[in-house]
Amino acid sequence: MTEKRTVIGRVTRCSIRGFVGGIRLRQPDLPVFGGWCQAPAQGGETAVVGLIYDISIEDDELARQLAAADAPSPEQQADSQLNRPIPIELQALTVGYRRAGTWVQALPPQPPITLAEITGLEPAEVRAFTQRLDFLPLALSTAEVPADQVVAAALRQAAEARPRDERRPFLLQAGQECARWLGQDLGRLERLLRDLQAGGEA
Amino acid sequence: MFEAGIVSLDLARLLSQVDQLGAETAQRQVERAAALPKAQAALHQAAGLDPSAIQQRIERAGDRWRGASPGSEAWQISLPAPPLPPRWHAIGADGSQVYPDRHAAAQFCLVNVGSLCLTHGSGEAPVASSRPRLLFRQDELTTTQGEAVDAALVNGMRDVAEMTELADLAERFPAEPTLALLDNGLLLWLALQEFERRAPEVDALLKHYLGQMDRLRRTQAALAGVIDRPRGTNLLRLVELCMLPPEQVNPESARLRRFPNLVDRDLLETLLPPGHRSAMFQVVSPLNAAFEARGHGVHFFYLNTGYDGQIARVEVPAWVAEDADRLSCVHAGILEECRLTGIPYVLVRAHELAVVTQHDRSALESLIAGALLRQGIEPRISQKSTTKRWTASRRRHRL
Repeated sequence: MTEKRTVIGRVTRCSIRGFVGGIRLRQPDLPVFGGWCQAPAQGGETAVVGLIYDISIEDDELARQLAAADAPSPEQQADSQLNRPIPIELQALTVGYRRAGTWVQALPPQPPITLAEITGLEPAEVRAFTQRLDFLPLALSTAEVPADQVVAAALRQAAEARPRDERRPFLLQAGQECARWLGQDLGRLERLLRDLQAGGEA
Repeated sequence: MFEAGIVSLDLARLLSQVDQLGAETAQRQVERAAALPKAQAALHQAAGLDPSAIQQRIERAGDRWRGASPGSEAWQISLPAPPLPPRWHAIGADGSQVYPDRHAAAQFCLVNVGSLCLTHGSGEAPVASSRPRLLFRQDELTTTQGEAVDAALVNGMRDVAEMTELADLAERFPAEPTLALLDNGLLLWLALQEFERRAPEVDALLKHYLGQMDRLRRTQAALAGVIDRPRGTNLLRLVELCMLPPEQVNPESARLRRFPNLVDRDLLETLLPPGHRSAMFQVVSPLNAAFEARGHGVHFFYLNTGYDGQIARVEVPAWVAEDADRLSCVHAGILEECRLTGIPYVLVRAHELAVVTQHDRSALESLIAGALLRQGIEPRISQKSTTKRWTASRRRHRL
């Protein structure tokens, strides 16, 4: 937990099941839907792992003014898109945690605390966490979030974090796991598999 | 009309005073409307006076008269914007500060300068920068007389830092058209307030400030200070002075105001169509004489920015006022910069980059507390600060 990571947010509110973070970032640094992130909890003893299921950009008067104008110059557009820190809020669904170097795919003992740094998981960490897919029932059963889409996006990113020849086998295994948990809802399973397949073909 | 919010002010007690404020504002508007035609007629009349007769009046008005001196342009002239080159640079710098606080855990002050350097016609993102400087050493927080550095001196340091930032940026484009903007007048405010006291710190800051203007003059930069919603009355005072017979002008009579409810902006609103600028005038003050001695005498004109009919006051040094290319860059460049935001875009962004919010300040104080702890010092704020924090979150009336 001592390595220097890019902070993509700071926790503003949280629960055992998820956390919300706010920050001002430049557009190129914005996190992505389905991204893997973590935030420290229990005084740094654990790192809670989350999947980003929503990213919202807060109101910004200057951006609104420029948007309403006839024609912002290319330089002003580039300034807004590349230089200006955008006030964003991200919401993450908790799918596990890490304690003493071990990944656990269950809800954590405690949530992160306010202003804890939210950082992205490194590809090696994503690979390590997704060696097992026990988090799938937890994620897929979450109400009030686009669970299937966020799981599909997260699994595609987990595939991307692997060597090219391992990606398709990983997605096949992930699809089989999803089928175990969604076998009673074939419509939902089909949509999720199509999402995964798009990632496998890419 | 009101959004639900939390206020601690006893608004009920203010209601009658707020009503009086509204009535007073309406009354002032009526008085302004009545005075304006008279002031415009006086401007017209004064513009026709012989320049030597005007100069004679200015000389008789004495050192404390704060009016304007006319230049070579006709007073009521209204000039459209010249064209801009296809590629030019706009630079804006703005500063903010944290003043020394004797109640804080450690003594420090902060000056933060934000700047934006935008190359029009490049299609590229501008270069944004924010340069914070923490002042904490004994010699930075104490004057040569042993007094604690006050808010006015910190403001002076901030103004010097802004001008330094502009000079640093302008030197990157020594031979290209460059508009360098500040969002205030060019006369160093601290020196304006403290000019007669001549404290060594003020003199040192003024010397440094003028040195940065020297650097800017050596580039092709067109330096200008933009004042939004200006309250200046230099031109009106000149008009009022011209209404007096020459033999009656003396320091006492020169200070009497004929149009106390008006400002220069009122006078020029009807004269300037969108995009046009007024004639150029020079500020008359002892401080400006010191600027003039260094070749930086401050001149000014008013400009209809074309954004909602707003009139801005633009101050430029003599070497811009007397250089047609640099003056064109100021006039047309400010208009282009105001097109979307009403005040120059580079200044809007420079302010955004400079501002130190309460949140920023709290984060800085946390860093300082950490640094003290690492030195074995318990960071303690004063009891007064402590009690303010106790009451900051008290129950408040919901509107």
